[in-house]
Amino acid sequence: MTEATIATPPATTSVVANSNLPSADGHRQVLIAMHNLWKTYDMGAEKVHALHGVSFEVRRGEYVAITGPSGSGKSTLMNLIGCLDTPSQGEYWLNGKNVSEMDDDELARIRNQEVGFVFQTFNLLARATALHNVELPLIYGGVPGTKRHEMAKQALTEVDLVDRMMHRPNELSGGQRQRVAIARALVNRPSILLADEPTGALDTATSYEIMNLFEKLHEEGNTIILVTHEHDIAARAHRVISIRDGLIEKDEQIK
Amino acid sequence: MFARGESQLNPPLEGHAGKSLTLSARLRSLRFFRIAAIWEAFLVALGSLRQNKLRTGLTLIGIIVGVTAVIAVVTIIKGLDQTVAQTFSSQGSTVFTVSKRPRVITSREDFIKYNKRKDITEDDAQAIFRLCTACWRTGIAANDGVSVKRGNQKADAVAIRAIAPTAMFDIDAVSIDAGRFWSETEGNSGQEVCVVGSDIITNFFPYETAEQAIGQDVWAGGHRYRIVGVLQPLGKIFGVSRDERIFLPFATYKKDFGLNVARGAFNTSGALVVFVQTQSADQLEAAEDQVRAVMRNRRGKTFKDEDDGFALETEDVFLNLYSSATSNIYIVTIGVAAISLVVGGIVVMNIMLVSVTERTKEIGIRKAVGARRQDIMTQFLIEAVVVTAIGGAFGVLTGFGTAWLIALAIGFPLLFSIWSAVLGVGVSSIVGVISGLWPAWRAARLDPIEALRAE
Repeated sequence: MTEATIATPPATTSVVANSNLPSADGHRQVLIAMHNLWKTYDMGAEKVHALHGVSFEVRRGEYVAITGPSGSGKSTLMNLIGCLDTPSQGEYWLNGKNVSEMDDDELARIRNQEVGFVFQTFNLLARATALHNVELPLIYGGVPGTKRHEMAKQALTEVDLVDRMMHRPNELSGGQRQRVAIARALVNRPSILLADEPTGALDTATSYEIMNLFEKLHEEGNTIILVTHEHDIAARAHRVISIRDGLIEKDEQIK
Repeated sequence: MFARGESQLNPPLEGHAGKSLTLSARLRSLRFFRIAAIWEAFLVALGSLRQNKLRTGLTLIGIIVGVTAVIAVVTIIKGLDQTVAQTFSSQGSTVFTVSKRPRVITSREDFIKYNKRKDITEDDAQAIFRLCTACWRTGIAANDGVSVKRGNQKADAVAIRAIAPTAMFDIDAVSIDAGRFWSETEGNSGQEVCVVGSDIITNFFPYETAEQAIGQDVWAGGHRYRIVGVLQPLGKIFGVSRDERIFLPFATYKKDFGLNVARGAFNTSGALVVFVQTQSADQLEAAEDQVRAVMRNRRGKTFKDEDDGFALETEDVFLNLYSSATSNIYIVTIGVAAISLVVGGIVVMNIMLVSVTERTKEIGIRKAVGARRQDIMTQFLIEAVVVTAIGGAFGVLTGFGTAWLIALAIGFPLLFSIWSAVLGVGVSSIVGVISGLWPAWRAARLDPIEALRAE
């Protein structure tokens, strides 16, 4: 219950105007608050602005898709949301913490505690079992062995893979691998689930299965941010943010 | 079931209140060493070593060769040191000698100077015996080398040691195996008797036991001597036997061969040396002072004269000379052996760099799920240390094995010390840390985005 009081950064809530937010969600806690975010890459003499002044908010329990063509800056935005990178300018508050000013190790901590990644290519450790892959965030979170085991098992149960937990990724199908990755993303109970083209490497049927899983997770209260360039995938989300040329082109609630 | 505690859609489940876990996890992660992460690093290290058997094998060989060289050298050196120390201090630290020339002469000028000195005489020994109160046993000895024969068996340059009185046997710390020492009367009256080392029996009485050789005769330097006793073997040093020698009563030797006979400028054969033994090591200095005073007086030396006119030496002289002569050699030898360890370290570094490059993706994944720089650093350092420590352990074994083989060939006792084992594993682990440091640091500072993009 204490979380709500520290969660909302004082400045951003008033500054970021998001008329698209339904009033019903107005009382929900703001989880992500981005204010005038710039990302500039120094390419020798030239400066490339991948993002020029992006601002938006995501509240707890939202299901957001970030779309845009390649080169639009959505990957950059995803890296910033996932705390893999820091903005050149602007503020980013994640779950009440000003992430934009953190150093490498603090970011690692935030990624460990607040962000659950799901990647297009799954990014599982090839030599490790499904169980060990799911345990990985807990290991770096310092969770002791038995508890770690129990939590990882529970996460695998959630994605319906507990019977295959001793299998290595190469003994699993693409859909199963992605489910292991989702279990890994969830195991630390992060604030946000950040999926980068999660169905990009899967066939249609499996994509469908994975998207259903995301839906279920959303219904259970998880905050999901989906980065995709596929419109039908984006259409499964409840809110779609379209990025073009480093700016938010459209931000609409579709459900 | 993965709802955050505050979600209104799903009430928190018992035992999974997200915030309390996060808090405790946060506390744990603040600790400098996170056991879980270190254990993970250890398992990952073992796994990756097992995965790349060829690479691991080559790395191991690099380290094993280095440690083997160091351990073998150290072990052999310790064995040599021990042998030398035992040999030279067999008379113990209570014995010193008075002789015309020191045993070690380093310059021609000194040699000429020492040669001008008066010979040590029986009278000198008598005076020391009478006047030195701190002395316990006093004896005289002269060494020589003569040809010995018995029947068809013949040998040149067998060591002859002429001694008096019989207490000199005690000073020389030899003991009887068969028969007896000659009696004081036999010795003083110059009887043609001898006590022989065990090799004399082996060489000249091949079909007899020591007991059977008692009462038989040998010819030494053209004189016939009756064997009254056989000594217990002393063993070899650097392949040279210390048992191929014949003890004669001093009076007998003097009668048969003559004393202080000039056999050439560099030959000290027949030169008389006085041996003094004190009852305990703390009396040694007092005895030395007394003997020095007696002898200076007899040589007519005043306070002003810096040269004593004789050499007063303990067995330490040899040991000191030995250690000063060999310590530099040892340092160089160990240094040369250590170079192979450095080469091993470079092999480890090279292979770790390859490993980091190969596993860039893995590093990216680990960083994405929350591994910090130090976690990645630890992982690769542990991998380097695990491989070098294993290599070190093997190297200690092969090093001992090599030393054992060499010792077997040369013939000296071996000292397998637990310390050199600890040293071997420890040094190779340090090599692992040093050579793993840079690759680990490179891995740790990889950009997670770049690393995730790698294939």
